[in-house]
Amino acid sequence: MKQNSMEQKHIQHLYNRAGFGINYKILNSIKSKSKKEIVSNLFSNAQKNVTLNIDISEFEIFKTKSEKQLKLELGREKIQELKKKSRKKIRELNYAWVKRFSENDTVLREKMTLFWANVFVCRDNSILHIHQYNNVLRENSLGNFSCFVKAISKEPSMIKYLNLKQSVQKKPNENFARELMELFTLGVGNYKEEDIKESARAFTGYNFKKDGTFYLRENRHDFSEKTFFGKTGNFNGDDIIDIILEQRQCAKFICTKVYTYFINPKIDENRLEEITAVFYKNYDINHLMYYIFNSDWYYNEENIGVKIKSPIELLVGIQTTIPFTFEKKQRLSYLQKMMGQILFYPVNVAGWKGGRNWIDCNTLMFRMKLAALLLNNAVINLEEKGNFEDSFDKYYKSTKKRKKYIKTVVNWNDFEKNYGQLSAIELQDLLITSTLDKDTQNLLDNLKIQSNKEFCVQLMSIPEYQLC
Amino acid sequence: MKRRDFIKQSTLASSLFFVPSFVKAFENVATTKLGYKKLVIIQLAGGNDGLNTIIPYTNDLYYKNRPSLAISKKNVLKVSDEIGFHKNLAPLKNLYDQGNLTIINNVGYPNPNRSHFRSTDIWQSASNSSEYLTTGWLGRYIDQYGKAPYTGIELDDSLSLILKGKNINGIATRNPKILYANTETPYFKKLINYQTEEHLSEHNLGYLYKTVIDAKSSAKYIFEKTNTFKSKMEYPKNPFGKQLKTTAEFINSHIESKVYYVSMGGFDTHASQATKQAKLLKTYSEAIAVFVEDLKKNDTFKDTLIITFSEFGRRVKQNAGGGTDHGAANNVFIIGDALNKKGFYNEMPNLDQLDKNGDLIHTVDFRSVYATVLDKWLAVDDSKILNKSFNKLHFI
Repeated sequence: MKQNSMEQKHIQHLYNRAGFGINYKILNSIKSKSKKEIVSNLFSNAQKNVTLNIDISEFEIFKTKSEKQLKLELGREKIQELKKKSRKKIRELNYAWVKRFSENDTVLREKMTLFWANVFVCRDNSILHIHQYNNVLRENSLGNFSCFVKAISKEPSMIKYLNLKQSVQKKPNENFARELMELFTLGVGNYKEEDIKESARAFTGYNFKKDGTFYLRENRHDFSEKTFFGKTGNFNGDDIIDIILEQRQCAKFICTKVYTYFINPKIDENRLEEITAVFYKNYDINHLMYYIFNSDWYYNEENIGVKIKSPIELLVGIQTTIPFTFEKKQRLSYLQKMMGQILFYPVNVAGWKGGRNWIDCNTLMFRMKLAALLLNNAVINLEEKGNFEDSFDKYYKSTKKRKKYIKTVVNWNDFEKNYGQLSAIELQDLLITSTLDKDTQNLLDNLKIQSNKEFCVQLMSIPEYQLC
Repeated sequence: MKRRDFIKQSTLASSLFFVPSFVKAFENVATTKLGYKKLVIIQLAGGNDGLNTIIPYTNDLYYKNRPSLAISKKNVLKVSDEIGFHKNLAPLKNLYDQGNLTIINNVGYPNPNRSHFRSTDIWQSASNSSEYLTTGWLGRYIDQYGKAPYTGIELDDSLSLILKGKNINGIATRNPKILYANTETPYFKKLINYQTEEHLSEHNLGYLYKTVIDAKSSAKYIFEKTNTFKSKMEYPKNPFGKQLKTTAEFINSHIESKVYYVSMGGFDTHASQATKQAKLLKTYSEAIAVFVEDLKKNDTFKDTLIITFSEFGRRVKQNAGGGTDHGAANNVFIIGDALNKKGFYNEMPNLDQLDKNGDLIHTVDFRSVYATVLDKWLAVDDSKILNKSFNKLHFI
C-alpha cells in the first residue's frame, strides 16, 4: 500500500455520494491509489456523455406530422392509442435509467443527472419530449450552469409543464418565471413580484417545433422594454437568466442544494460560503463538484454516513453489492411507488424533499425489508395505490389476496467471488458507513452467522443501512 | 428497566418516563387529553362530477351544457323544487332526510389547478395553489396534538401526504394483522428487542430508530386493540366497503386514533360517464349507509364526523366522449349526528357565472371547512395547523 493511498472508508463515502456505492471488486482495484487519482478518475470517466436511449421509433411520426394530419391519416382512435402507449413507454425509460445507475463507469454523470432532475423538476406524458429532456439534463449535468438553465427553458417538456406555451405578449403566463426564480435559481423571498411580472414578458412566445427544437414565435413575443432587478432593457429570456445569475444568491441557492445532497443534510455555513464562492466565479458545475470531492473536509467524520438514502440510492446500492436482475421489470414500478420515488413522476414542481421526508413508519418498514424482498424471495403482502385515472376495479386491482414475490435472478456467484471470504467485520465495514448503534452492534456480534450471503442481507436490514 | 421489557409492557401513553428527552420533544403531547371525537376523511379520487351528483334539475343551463349527459327530471330523487340527488344515492338521501347530512356547495380555492396530483396536494396539505408544502393538514394535527403515529390512520398500505407531519407521521394499514406481522418478523423483533433507549440521538440515525420503534408500537397497539372487535354488519363486498368496515372496527373498538383517511378511486370520468358514475355513487352511498348504521349501533356515531371531498369537480359542459373534463369547485358532504345546519349549507352553483375555463367558481374556501372542523370538532387551534386563520363556518 502506498503511503498516500486513500482510506477505504473515504473511498466508500465518495462512491456512496458520487454514485450508488461501490462493489468490493472495484474498491480493491483502486484502493492503492491516492485520493487525487481516484477523484480525477471519477471525473475523467464522467466526461463522456452517453445518452440514455430506448426504442421510441414508433412515435417518430409525431416529429414529422402535425396532429391534424395524423388524425386524418390514422384516425382519432389510433392517435389516442399511440398517446397512451407513449405514456406507458416512460416506464421503460425509467427501467433503463435504473439499469444505467448500476453501470459503474458513467456513475458520476448519472448521479448528477438524478440530482438535477430534482432541481429542474419536470413531468410530461410525451415519451419523445421527456426522453429528450432527460438527455439534456445528462448533457449539462457537469457543464456550465448558465447554459444549463437556458437549455431547460427551451425544452418542449418544460415549455408545456410550466405553461410557457400559453404565454403570449398580450397575456403573459407567470408560471415559468415564478418557478424559475423560486425553485430553480434563487429561492423564495429573493425577488419581488414585480420581477416575476417583468421577466414573464421576456419569456413570451416560447414554443417548439414538431421535431422538438425550440423556436420563438416572434409575433407573440414581447420585444419591448422590461425592468428586472433594477436593470432596464429589451431583455429576452436568456438575458433574464444572465441577470439572475449575477445575483450571488443564485450560486448560494444551488450550492445549498448541492450541500444537502452530496455533503451533509446539516449545513455548515462557513463551508457553504466556501463552495458558493467557488461556484459564483463561473458557474462551472464540474469545477464545483471536483472542488468538493477533492477537499479534505469532505472526508471528515461528521459528513460520512449521515444522509438518508433516497429510495433509488437504496435500491441501486443493494444491486451494486449483489448484482441481480428482475424477472419482470414492472416490479421496479411497484418498489418505487411503495417507497415514494418514481423516476419521471416527481410529486410536484418542487420535487422530492428528500432526507427525513422519505421516512414514515410504512416506508421505513418496507425499506428495511427491501433486501429480503429482492434477494431472499420474501413475500409481498402490501399493495401499491391505484392511479387517479383508473376505473374503480383497476384502482383496487391488486387488493386480492395472493402471495406474491419480487422475482429476481441473483448473481450469488459474483457475490461469493468478491465477498465470500471476508470476515464479518470486513463485510460490515463494506456495507455500513454510518456509526453503528451500540445495541445493534451488540446484536450483530451475537448473531450466529451461517453464511456471508445471509449476513449481508441481515446487514442490509438494519437502520444503519438506510444511511450513506 | 430495559427497553425490551418496556416494549413488552408498553402502553405507550404511560411511557414518557423512559423516552429520551429528544423523543419527548418530538412527541409534543398536548397537556389536555384529546377528546373522543373522530374524524373520517374520504376522497373521491379522480374528481367526482358534483353536478350530476346533486342535480339542479330545473336549471336550463344545466341541460343546455349537457345535452346527452344531464340527468332528466324524472330520474332524480327530489329534495326540493330545484334540487335532486342522483338516483343511486338513495342511502345518502336517507341520511339527508334524517338530518345527518350537510352539503356545502362550491368549495374550492383561488386559481384552481386541474391536475389530479397537484390539486390533491393542495387539498391534502391545505396550501395555496402557488405553495408547495411537504406536510398534510392531518399530519400537522398529529404533529402538534397527537402522541404517536396511530393518531392518524390511512386505510391503505402506503401513507399519503395528508397524514405526513414534520416529526410524526400517521400510519397506513389496510389490514392491522399484516401491519403487525411485518413488524414481528424474527429479525426485526430481535433488532428492536436489543434496543436500549440511551443510544437514540437527534441525528438521522436516532430518527430512524425512533421511527422503527414507533412503527412497532403503533402496529402492535392498533392490532391488539382492534383484534377482538369484529363488525356484525354486512358491508357491500367491494374494497371500499372493506375500508369502511375496517374503519368502523377501529372506531368501535375505541382505540385512541383520531383521524382516518380513505381514498375511493374511479371518478375520473372523461368518457362514458353516465354508467360509470352511477355505479360509483351506488358503491359509495351503500357503503356509507352501512358504515353510519354500524357506528350508530355502537353508539359512536355521535362522536364521528365524516367528510367527503374530491380534488376537483368537473367541467360544466360535457365533452365529446360522453364524459366531463377536469373542473374546479365542487360539493363537499358532511355526515354527522349533531349537525348545526342540516341539508344544504349554501346556494347551488351559479351556472351563469363560470370561470374562463367554463368551470364553477368557488364561494367557500376548503380551508374554511378544515378550520371549522379543527376548531369546533377536534377542539384544537386551527390557525396553528393551517398556518393562517380562515373564516369559520357553522355547519357544526
